[in-house]
Amino acid sequence: MSEFFNQYFDFHVMGEHFWEVLEAFLQNLVIFAVAAALALIWGLALALLRQLPGKKLLPIRFITVAYIDLFRAIPILIIILLISGGVPFLSFIPQSIRIPHWFGKPDPFWYGVAALVIVYGAFTAEVYRAGIEAVPGGQMEAARSLGMSHWQAMRHVIVPQALTLIPAPMLNEMISLLKDTTLISVIAFSEAVLVSREVLSERLNSSAMILTAFFFVVIILPLARVVDRLIARNQGKIARGSHIEVA
Amino acid sequence: MRQTRLTALLAVLLLALASVAAVGCGGGSDTTGTSGGGGVAEGGGGGEPLTVGSDIPYPPFEQGKPGEYTGFDVELMEAIGEKIGRTPEFQDTSFETIFRDVGQGKFDAAMSAATITEEREKAVDFSNPYYLSEQAVLVKEGSPIKSLKELEGKTVAAQQGTTGLELAKEELGGSEIRPYPEGPDAINALKAGTVEGVVIDAPVAQHAVEEGGGIEIVEKVATEEDYGIAVAQGETELLEEINKGLEEVEQDGTYAKIFEKWFHAPPPKAVFSATHEAE
Amino acid sequence: MAETMVKLQGICKRFGDLEVLKGVDLEVGRGEVVCILGPSGSGKSTFLRCINLLEPPEEGEIFIEGNDICKGPGSGTGEQSWELNFVRQRVGIVFQQFNLFPHKTTLENVTLAQEEVLGRSKQEARAKATELLERVGLGDKLDQYPERLSGGQQQRVAIARALAMDPHVMLFDEVTSALDPELVKEVLDTMRELAEEGMTMIVVTHEIGFAREVADRVVFMDGGVIVEEGPPSQVLENPQQERTKQFLGLVLDR
Repeated sequence: MSEFFNQYFDFHVMGEHFWEVLEAFLQNLVIFAVAAALALIWGLALALLRQLPGKKLLPIRFITVAYIDLFRAIPILIIILLISGGVPFLSFIPQSIRIPHWFGKPDPFWYGVAALVIVYGAFTAEVYRAGIEAVPGGQMEAARSLGMSHWQAMRHVIVPQALTLIPAPMLNEMISLLKDTTLISVIAFSEAVLVSREVLSERLNSSAMILTAFFFVVIILPLARVVDRLIARNQGKIARGSHIEVA
Repeated sequence: MRQTRLTALLAVLLLALASVAAVGCGGGSDTTGTSGGGGVAEGGGGGEPLTVGSDIPYPPFEQGKPGEYTGFDVELMEAIGEKIGRTPEFQDTSFETIFRDVGQGKFDAAMSAATITEEREKAVDFSNPYYLSEQAVLVKEGSPIKSLKELEGKTVAAQQGTTGLELAKEELGGSEIRPYPEGPDAINALKAGTVEGVVIDAPVAQHAVEEGGGIEIVEKVATEEDYGIAVAQGETELLEEINKGLEEVEQDGTYAKIFEKWFHAPPPKAVFSATHEAE
Repeated sequence: MAETMVKLQGICKRFGDLEVLKGVDLEVGRGEVVCILGPSGSGKSTFLRCINLLEPPEEGEIFIEGNDICKGPGSGTGEQSWELNFVRQRVGIVFQQFNLFPHKTTLENVTLAQEEVLGRSKQEARAKATELLERVGLGDKLDQYPERLSGGQQQRVAIARALAMDPHVMLFDEVTSALDPELVKEVLDTMRELAEEGMTMIVVTHEIGFAREVADRVVFMDGGVIVEEGPPSQVLENPQQERTKQFLGLVLDR
């Protein structure tokens, strides 16, 4: 039993590597911030493309759905490795894009962000879609009957209401995204998991990894509780038939 | 709607069946190596199996598919196995935990182009050295960088948990050092152009250069590293056996033959007299 | 004879295999109030929604103020074949479920389309909205959200919202059917006033009393066709067709 604690909860090891791991964990947060912002925008764009009406725009809707289906299905790790393993060799892309060092962040950072945005764009698009479809059909009818175009209706009537319905599932996706930032460790970006593995091989001890897990729990657990409360609150509101607050 | 559900169920069952069939007929896809029917291709001298943990691939020391592993370490161990009456079974594992795993009995031994270090000796005991190594610095052909020092301030790759990584960290304080999980990943990063140099075991570097891909060695750093076979602490009997087998293999010319095959050169004399006291 | 505001000919509508409208003709003159009655499933709501192209018909022709609003030759399917903008700027509609925008105040509900579709300035839109909301008796509720209003109040806002677009024709789709009985009167009163001011109205309703008192013409539909048509005194008091008699017998005996 004491072996178990030594291997996983050696506080000396945790103490000696605390700042190192914390600094690396901050990198996870940076990846998350960038990827989340981009994925939320990209996902909304996908969701709106998917809603385009009319026969003429069927090809666009089709491609959008195909994209969403595809990238919900492929594991993110594969996408990361495809990008980092293949893109540098595509010489037709200029070097500054192919091996990006934007804003002082090295190429693995951007490959990782790209992979996360590509995949989470698909996931968030589905959350947006659920929100949009949950808005009662009469809203669109009323807006169109007043003469609004499809876009005007979406912009002023549908999307604002959809956004009030999605915080809970969207927050779930964001939590998932935060955890998935650890996948970038496989392309040698110094985030918390990579650093913990280095400590592991150096000290033959897993306590740094436990420390990393602890950091994730500290951040995510409160968020998960917020999600639970949001769901309960909106469900209560639906039950009472009152209008759901738009921010 | 019931029909669609049935069709879906059927599709899932078919998929499951197909997967099972593929696994069964394909002859073992488990990457944990040769346990159970996958292949006793590494067979040595008959007798009790000897599980050997190794981080595969790391050419030219260990490479290949489960059941068909090959490389300098693999062949040397097979030769040793013949001498001591054991059948080595190589199992792929992650390099960063290999010493801990051996120490805790997950494998009987570890042989993975692993340098004997004080730190590692806290968890395992090492055999006599079976290979004398050093580090090498790899760059892309035509690169202006000609030495380790010139990589200062540049992006450098190495493998996690290796002495190459340590060397890079020691010598290159201002560089961005990227630790990859597998050696070949670091080399690929160099070929892709995302890093400017790689610090890795010299024989591995040499092998990579021979494979092509437009890379070259610009410097060798004599770190006086010796590779040893690791066993759990206290396994003195097994260690003695391995040392004995190694000595016999060296003396009857088998070692030289295997060495020539993988390194295209005769072995250095120093290795035959290299000894190591287990601490 | 008043100028023809709306003319529909040979309207057919299918939902999959189900034929809901089997060739319906209707002509409505300026200032006329036409009430459409009928049992559920008669297609009366669908017919109404054809007029503003919420349900574009498979076959038939629609003329608004003499203009053929079909873009393509003969019958069209799908929105692209019809002059949507032309229709929706001249024809307003009020729904059974109100369909107010819950995330906007009462005032904003009435100004939104004015600003976005008609391009009116904020002040213009507000002025018009305020005037209309006062006319329907809700001048004190401008900054309230729809959830705080009663059903009857919400429906009156919906009427104001449609009127703000200066339509030439107003459609009413069973607008009191979802209301508690005591709230029905305020909405019917509003509609009555509108009729007296000369608005051309097509009203699908169950309110026989309203039809009798306000309608210039009553249309009885059943099974996707118009069964009987004429002034209320005729259709309601002296129906000619058997089906009309049956329906009225059921309804009036309540």
